[in-house]
Amino acid sequence: MQLTLAIHPISEIRFDSKTYLNGATLCVSKEELRRLVLEDSSFEGVDFEIARPGESLRAGPVFDIVEPRAKEPGGSPDWPGILGAPETAGVGTTHVLQGAGVTLLREQSTGDSRGAVGYVLEMSGAPAENCPYASLNHLITIPHTPPGLPEHSRQRAYRVAQLKIAVYLARAALDATPARTEILDLAGANGEDRAGLPRVAYVGQIFSRQRKPQLDEPILYGTDTDGMLPVVLHPNEWLDGAVAPSYHCSLGGAETYFYQNHPVIMELYRRHQTKELNFAGTVATIASANNFDRERNCHFAANLVKWALKADAAILTKFGGGVPHTDLSETARLLEAMGIRTTVQVTDLARDRRVESALLFNFPEVNAIICIGGNSTSWKVPRVERVIAANSGLAEVLAGPFELESLNAVGVANQQGASRLRAMVY
Amino acid sequence: MRIVHYLNQFFGGLGGEERAGTPLEVREGALGPGKLLEQLLGGDAKVVTTLICGDNHAVENQDAMVADAIEKVRQAEADLFVAGPCFQAGRYGMAAGALCSAVQSKLSIPVITGMADENPGADLYREFLYIVDSGTNAARMREVFMTMANLARKMMSKTPIGSPKEEGYLTRGLIRDQFVEKTAGERLVDMVLAKVKGELFESEMVPTAFAPVPMPPSIKDLTKAKIMLITDGGLVPKGNPDKIQGSVATRWGSYSIDGCDDLKGEDYEISHGGYDPQFVHQDPDRLVPLDVMRQLEKEGVIGELYDEFLSTSGLANPLSNTRRMGREMAAKAKQLGIDAIILTST
Repeated sequence: MQLTLAIHPISEIRFDSKTYLNGATLCVSKEELRRLVLEDSSFEGVDFEIARPGESLRAGPVFDIVEPRAKEPGGSPDWPGILGAPETAGVGTTHVLQGAGVTLLREQSTGDSRGAVGYVLEMSGAPAENCPYASLNHLITIPHTPPGLPEHSRQRAYRVAQLKIAVYLARAALDATPARTEILDLAGANGEDRAGLPRVAYVGQIFSRQRKPQLDEPILYGTDTDGMLPVVLHPNEWLDGAVAPSYHCSLGGAETYFYQNHPVIMELYRRHQTKELNFAGTVATIASANNFDRERNCHFAANLVKWALKADAAILTKFGGGVPHTDLSETARLLEAMGIRTTVQVTDLARDRRVESALLFNFPEVNAIICIGGNSTSWKVPRVERVIAANSGLAEVLAGPFELESLNAVGVANQQGASRLRAMVY
Repeated sequence: MRIVHYLNQFFGGLGGEERAGTPLEVREGALGPGKLLEQLLGGDAKVVTTLICGDNHAVENQDAMVADAIEKVRQAEADLFVAGPCFQAGRYGMAAGALCSAVQSKLSIPVITGMADENPGADLYREFLYIVDSGTNAARMREVFMTMANLARKMMSKTPIGSPKEEGYLTRGLIRDQFVEKTAGERLVDMVLAKVKGELFESEMVPTAFAPVPMPPSIKDLTKAKIMLITDGGLVPKGNPDKIQGSVATRWGSYSIDGCDDLKGEDYEISHGGYDPQFVHQDPDRLVPLDVMRQLEKEGVIGELYDEFLSTSGLANPLSNTRRMGREMAAKAKQLGIDAIILTST
């Protein structure tokens, strides 16, 4: 199963009367996009702005960030199960507008543990220095939906519209020659010359049952994961549209951008190609709402890693808050008992900065832990020249100056493996 | 740089165990190891006052001795307070820790001490102080003082202090953040490869081992028992009168269920962001099982249900909060003669 990424670097986005690619400049027609979005009657209107790296600009609350990518005909559909037929993702050629992002904002703050500001895109200053999104050119998309619209309809409208826009923009590159191509293929993984290499699998949670999914919430091939058991996915499926983030995440967040550019999957692919390991494959799983569900899911995932992927080692990441730590560590514990060496990524739970508060598990064998910090990092962010938000109320909340916590700065404490933040014990 | 140095009776040259009852004494200038300290700090560093106290006296009269010592440190107009190093000596370590801790908080000047990791003073005070890892061998006094002097200089010049390994102090059990070169994804692959190949790796976090809480004796006769309901699911009366925070809660409340057989959703709200509250909104008895408990009370299965339930939010709540709240709730339960508690969580 081979996926070819055709990379088109983008250094600028500009508005124009038509949408087209001019070298490394993406020219975007607001009118064309507006027509595209308003195909869905959930929208009363939509606005677009451009955010450039280094600008004194803040946008939020961020719903999601998507890299513009489009499938060449003959391979998988774009976003199977959401935009297209639910056929296998990860085959054929995908054109990538690298250096660009489609960033959709919420019209209301989620008001949960991320507070009034939600996830904030900060394009300059200290937060931007360590934020992968601050170096992208963003097409900021500001939706306008009627206040009476049910929340599940609104969020689904956001999800579908954002993906449609991202595909539409990348289609401008279909006839252009890419600057380079990257081939993602696990072919030869079982070859004799690779026999001694450790087989490494990736187990990624894609949803946490702390909450019920929203009605029609598309997560895995357009399904909401309700009732789901862990599944084996080819790495290409994650990268090419099989998985979308849940509308609700917590702590440092998860975005479509880092499913498309999955840090763990891409690194495993890289080391597979340099023959340091055999990338054994991946399992997509869910964090559970009760112990019975948890035992079932953790055993199931561990069995897939052991018997279907035949892995010697596994990397595990989670989705959501504290409860998913339990599924993460239990799955790792089971894997270790099966002779499979594990590494887990945990997020920062120690609100009081004590090591005793950092972990929700204590298994001697689950001893290889990557810990993304966050609780002791925040920045006093200034008033910026431009605030992009869906309404004046949100614009005021975001205007600044205010204390921006690193967990609120989208991308900084990312749960998918993109974070360069690390908790240090002292 | 004006320094006050604390020594026990032995290092202060008064004698051995037979002088352990000596009360706090004040000497001008540096004494014994203090002279080495002055030398290593160099520059204008001067031990202006040495405080000596017998180990037994220090431990048996800690509060008074510490208060007295603080006064002396204040009078000496010290820029830096140094205690020990204490190596393995436990009473000495306890005294040094207590003194450093008090001087730090009351006088806000840099403090430094040294102890072996096994010293009981280390566990009690490591979180609050930089305690240099002195090991147990007093023959290493010079190296230990050098490490203490380096740290003292950094504290005085407000230079950022590195990791325990780099700087030679006992791990304090605290966390701070750093931005590093590699993404978490890269670090995950590095670490798993090292682990599967049997190579050394350094975990970014280590679990804490907690001493198990001994189980109390079981209830002899449930039909006579007084039961209390507690929840950490954040169920509070509408309006959240005690303003219990939804996460990192520092408060808990006690709410009347007197004469009530059944909790109604419209009377309550949920202050807890970590679970889907819709089912508890529909029927709070799903979280705080009042209806079933009343049934059991009526049937005589239990003696009595206490007429209040206690509530807080467990979401993202560190032990420093929950330990305290748990103790407070337990004290209340004990005072009320509660025999057993049912604690529901989400």
